[in-house]
Amino acid sequence: MSSNPDESGVGVNAGEVLLDAHNVTMQFGGLRAVNDVSLRVHTGEIVGLIGPNGAGKTTFFNCLTGLYKPTAGSVEFLGEPLPPKPRLVVRAGMARTFQNIRLFHNMTAIENVMVGMYSRTQTNAIDAIFRLPRHRREELASTKRAKELLDFVGLTGSGDSLSRNLPYGDQRRLEIARALATDPKLLLLDEPTAGMNPQETRQAEELIFKIRDLGLAILVIEHDMRFIFNLCDRVACLVRGEVLVEGTGKVVQNDPRVIEAYIGAPATEPDWQQPGDRPGEGVADA
Amino acid sequence: MELFFQQLINGLSLGALYALIAVGYTVVYGIVQLINFAHGEIFMIGAFGAFATWTVMGRPADWPATTALLVLLPLMMIGGMVAAIAVAVATERFAYRPLRGAPRLAPLISAIGVSVFLQELIRLFFGTNPFIPSSSWPVRIPGWPDAKSAVPFPSVTGISGEIISIGGVTIQMPAVFTLGALAICTVFLWYFVNRTKTGRAMVATSQDPDTARLMGINVDRVIVSAFAVGAALAAIAGVAHGLRYGNIDFRMGFLAGLKAFTAAVLGGIGNINGAVVGGLVLGVAEAMATTFIPGQFGSSAWKDVWAFVLLIMVLVFRPQGLLGAKVVDRA
Amino acid sequence: MRAIIPDALKLQLRYPARAVGILGALAMAAAVFMPWAYGPGALDNMTLWASPSPLQLFFGVLALLVLALLAIPLVGKPKLGRWAHILAWNTSAKTSAISALAMAGVAAIAIAIELGGVVNLDPGAWVALVGGVLAVTATLFLPDSPPPSLERVKSAKWLQITGIALGMAAVLFGAAYGLGLSDAGAFLTFAAFLVGLVLILRQFGVFDWLSIAAANNRQVLVLSAFTVAFAFPFTQDGSDATMSVAAQVLIFAATALGLNIVVGLVGLLDLGYIAFLGAGAFTAAVLSESAFATIDFHPPFVITVLISGAVASLLGLVIGAPTLRVSGDYLAIVTLAFGEIFRITMNNLDGNDGPNLTHGSNGIPGIPDLSLLGFDFGQPHVILGIDIGRFANYYWLMLLVMGLIIVVFTNLNHSRIGRGWVAIREDELAAEAMGVNTFALKLLAFSGGAFLAGVAGAVKAHYDVSVTPDQYVFLESAFLLAAVVLGGMGTVAGVLIGATILKLLPEKLRFFSDYRLLLFGLLMVVMMRFRPEGIVADERRQLEFHDDSEELADEVEEELIAHHAHLNPDREVFEL
Repeated sequence: MSSNPDESGVGVNAGEVLLDAHNVTMQFGGLRAVNDVSLRVHTGEIVGLIGPNGAGKTTFFNCLTGLYKPTAGSVEFLGEPLPPKPRLVVRAGMARTFQNIRLFHNMTAIENVMVGMYSRTQTNAIDAIFRLPRHRREELASTKRAKELLDFVGLTGSGDSLSRNLPYGDQRRLEIARALATDPKLLLLDEPTAGMNPQETRQAEELIFKIRDLGLAILVIEHDMRFIFNLCDRVACLVRGEVLVEGTGKVVQNDPRVIEAYIGAPATEPDWQQPGDRPGEGVADA
Repeated sequence: MELFFQQLINGLSLGALYALIAVGYTVVYGIVQLINFAHGEIFMIGAFGAFATWTVMGRPADWPATTALLVLLPLMMIGGMVAAIAVAVATERFAYRPLRGAPRLAPLISAIGVSVFLQELIRLFFGTNPFIPSSSWPVRIPGWPDAKSAVPFPSVTGISGEIISIGGVTIQMPAVFTLGALAICTVFLWYFVNRTKTGRAMVATSQDPDTARLMGINVDRVIVSAFAVGAALAAIAGVAHGLRYGNIDFRMGFLAGLKAFTAAVLGGIGNINGAVVGGLVLGVAEAMATTFIPGQFGSSAWKDVWAFVLLIMVLVFRPQGLLGAKVVDRA
Repeated sequence: MRAIIPDALKLQLRYPARAVGILGALAMAAAVFMPWAYGPGALDNMTLWASPSPLQLFFGVLALLVLALLAIPLVGKPKLGRWAHILAWNTSAKTSAISALAMAGVAAIAIAIELGGVVNLDPGAWVALVGGVLAVTATLFLPDSPPPSLERVKSAKWLQITGIALGMAAVLFGAAYGLGLSDAGAFLTFAAFLVGLVLILRQFGVFDWLSIAAANNRQVLVLSAFTVAFAFPFTQDGSDATMSVAAQVLIFAATALGLNIVVGLVGLLDLGYIAFLGAGAFTAAVLSESAFATIDFHPPFVITVLISGAVASLLGLVIGAPTLRVSGDYLAIVTLAFGEIFRITMNNLDGNDGPNLTHGSNGIPGIPDLSLLGFDFGQPHVILGIDIGRFANYYWLMLLVMGLIIVVFTNLNHSRIGRGWVAIREDELAAEAMGVNTFALKLLAFSGGAFLAGVAGAVKAHYDVSVTPDQYVFLESAFLLAAVVLGGMGTVAGVLIGATILKLLPEKLRFFSDYRLLLFGLLMVVMMRFRPEGIVADERRQLEFHDDSEELADEVEEELIAHHAHLNPDREVFEL
C-alpha cells in the first residue's frame, strides 16, 4: 500500500521539499521490513513517525541516512539523489541521533561535539603535524562553536565531563548537540525521549521547538503519543513496514486503524523482528 | 593433461591439509568472532603430540603394515589430539575467556602472545638447553631430539613412502591419508553440527549468544567444544603433515596457520563447509600457480606469495567468501 | 599481608615493631660498609671493609629511606604539622624495606651464582639480608598510613622546573650507569634498585606531582628530555659498546612509536609492521653507494629517506586499501601475510627466481656510512674533548628521526584527526554516521605509520651496513608489538620505556636470551589479562580496557578538568 504525501496536510511552516523518499522498500532475505514507503519533509517542518514495535521505523531511518541501501525506491535530499554513504549524507546536510544512545562514551562532551564537526572542517595531516594556521584557526573556532552548542542544548559547564558520566537525559541532549554540530538542514531523532521522565520529556520538547526555530526541519520517531502530537506538524503512522495513515496529528490520532494497530487487533500484534526496536532497550544499553 | 591431473591431485591433498586446519579457525570465529592466531600452533602441537606418543611407545619401527595402521597410527593420532585439545582448551581458558567483552584488540594481542609462547615452549621442551643456567637440572628429556631444527617424523608402514599410480598420475599414500581424513572428518562434522545437542547449541550460539544463553545453553561449554573440535582436526592435520613431509618443526604452524586462515576466508569465515571448500580451492590454486604461471614467477619459491595474493583478492572482491559467511550482520 | 595481621595487634605492637624496624634499617646501613662477596669477580667488587662499591651505596640509599621513614614520625604529629600527612610514612617504609630486601636478595643470589656457591657470601651480605628481613617483618606490623598528599602540594613554577630537571638528570645518570654495567648480576641488582626506587617514589606521589609539573611546563619537559638524550653520548667517553646498544634501542623505539600510531591511536592491529621497516631499508640499500646496490641511481641521503618512506607508505596503501574496508580483524591477518610476502619476495628477487634486486638471502652488504653536509657518520669526532664515535653519530641521527616521529604522533593525536581516530576506536559506525571519513582516517594512519617505518628503515640500513631479508621476520613484528603493549598503547613515554626494556634486557642478560621469546609471549598474554593499558597508561585507553570501572571514569574526569587540557588547542605544540 502506498500513500501519496501530497494528499495529506502539510505543516503550516512548510517551505520547499527537503527530503523526498519515494516508494522505499527494504528487504532482508524473506523479511520486508519497509514496504513501499513514501515520505516528504519540507523545510521548517517537524514530522513524526509513529508505529508499533517492529513496524520498520528504525529501518526506514537507516535507509534515509545511508546506513542501508534501499532494495527499491529512491530517496532525494534537496533534489539530489541521496549519497550512498552515511558520512556523505551528513555532508549533504542530514544528521541523526540513535535510539540506543551511541555517544563516544570515553570522550568528553565537548570532544563528542567536535567529532560532529569533522565533516565541516578541513584541517589535514600536514596542517596538524606542523600546526599550520588552518589547524589553529579551526581548533579555536570548533571549540567556540562546540561550547555554544552545549549551551544551546542546556549542557553549559558539562563540556569537560566524560560523556559516560553524564546523566541519561544529558546524554540524549549531548547526542543532539553532536548531530547539530554537523550543521544539518534536517535532523532525524530516533526516539529522543525513550526512558525519560515527564519533566525531561517536556524539556526535550522545548529543545526540539528551539531547534526548529533555528530553521531546521526535524523528523522524529517516537512512541510517546502525547509528545508526538504536541510536537509535530504532520505525523505518519507506520505499521508492518507500510504507511497506514499520514496527516496532521488530529487526523492520525482519530484514525481507527491507528488505534487498532496500537491497542492490538490480532493482525497487528507487534512482531519482535527488529532487535533494538523494543521500548526501553535504549535505556538498557545506556 | 597428465600434468594437470597430477597437479590437481597434489593440490587437493595439500588443500585437504589446509581444510582440516581451517575448520578450527572458522568454528571459533563463527562463535566468538575471534581470530585464534594460535591455531596454527595447535596444529604444530598436534604433530609433536603424535611424535611424543611414538617416542613414549619406545620408537617402534618396522612394524608390519597391519599393526602400524591399526595400532601405531591411531595411537599417534589420539596422542596428538589429546595434546592439541588440552593446549587449545587451556588457551581458551587462560588467554581468551578472561578477555571476553574487552576491546577487540585485547584477545588478538593475547593470541599473538600465545602463538609465540607455544612455539618457544615446544622448542625449549624438546631443545637441548636446560631451563636454569649453569645448574645441573636440565628439563630436557634424555634421548629426545632437539626441536631447534626439523625433527624426523616417524614413518608408518603402509603409508610413508608408498605410492599408487593411476594412469600416469602418481599419488603418494600420505596424500591419500590426508584426503581420506578430510572426508571422514567432514562427515563427522556434519553429523556433529546437525545431529548432536552440542552441535546444535554451537549453531545457536553462533547466531545469537545472548539468546542462546537465555535458552539455557551453557555458552562457555559451547565455546570450549568449538576450540576442542578445531584442535582435534588440526591434530589430524599435524599427523598428515608429518607423514607427508617426513619431518616436523616448531615453526611449522606459522605458515600453515596463515594458509589455513586464507582458506577459511576464501570459503567464507564462519562457514564450516566453506572452510573445506576454501582449503581445497587454495591447495589447487597453489599447485596450479607453480605449474601454469610462466617464467620466474611460476617457480615454487613464489607459491606462498600467490596464496596470499589470493587472500587479498578475495577480501577486495568477495569479502564474504566463496560460499558466503554465516556471520549475521550485527550492525 | 594486610589481612593476615589484625589491626588490633598492629596497634598494640606499633612501638616494638618500629624499634625492630629501625634496628633492621641500621643493620642494612651498616652492611654498606662491610664486604659482601669473597672474591672481586662478582658484581662490582664488594670485598672491602669501609669502602662501599657503587651498588652498595645504592643499597644504602634504600636503607636510609627505611630509617628515615621509620624514625621521622617519632618526632610526633604536632611537631610535623602539615608534613605529617604529606607521605604515607608506614606504608612507604614497608615498600622501602621490601625493595631493600629484594635488592639484597638479588645481589646475594648473583654473588652466589657468579662465584659458585653460597659460601662466597661475606658477612655484609648476611647482615644486609637479616636487616632486610627484620625491617620487612617489622613494617608489616605497623598500622597503615593515610594516602600521601604530595601531589596536592602547590608548587612554584621554578620548583616544578627544577623537579623536571632533577628527574631528567636522574634518568641520564641511571641510563649511563646502567648501560655501563657489563656484568649481568650487577645489572640485575641495579635494576632491582631502580624498580624499588620507582615504586617508593610512586608511593610518595612524586610521579603524580611530576606529571602535573610536566603538564604545566610542556616546553621545558620536551626541551630537557631532548637535551638529556642529546647529552647521553658525552657520558660514555667514546665507549662504542654502550652507544651501539643505545642506537639500537633508539631505532627500535622509533619503529615502535610508528607502530603505536596504528595500534595505539587507531586501534588497528598491524602484524607486518617490520616489513615496512624492511621496505625502507631495502630501498635505501639499493639506492646507496654500495657496490652491491642494484639500481644505478644514487641520490643524496635526504632524497633517499623520502623515497624509502614513500615506497613503504605506497606498500601500506596497497595493503591497507583493500583490507581496511572490511573488519579490523582481517587487517591483522592480512598484514601478517604481507610480512611473509615481503620476506619471501626479498628472498626471491635474487636474479634466479625473479629479477635481481636484492641478491636474495645474501642481501645487500657494504652499505657505506652516511655523510650529511660534510659530516661523516663513520668517522669519530672529538667534541668538547670527548670522543664521539660512529655509533654516537647514528644515535644522534636516530634521535632526530625519533623527534620527528614524536611530533607527528603528538600533533596528530591532538587534532581533528586524532579525535576522529578516537571516535573510530569507540564506535566506528557512529563515527561514520557523524560524518567522519573512517576509511580515509584509517588509511592515513596505516600508510602514515608505514612512511615513518620506511624512514627509520633507511637509517637502519646505513647503521647495519648490510640489509638481509631475515632481519625482517614476523617475530620482529611481534617484538615491536610487545614493546607497544608493555609500555602503554597510545603513549609516547610508555612506548619509549617498553622499547628500552625489551631491547636492553636481552642485551644485558645474555644468559636469558634463549627464553626471551617465551617470556615475551607470556608477557603479552599476562599484560592483556591484568594491565592491558601498559606500564604508562593513556587515560582514555585505560577507560576503554576497564569499561565497567565507574571509579576510574570519575578519576580521569577529575584529572581532565584539573588539567583543563583539551579546551586549549595550543597544548603540546612543538614548533618546527
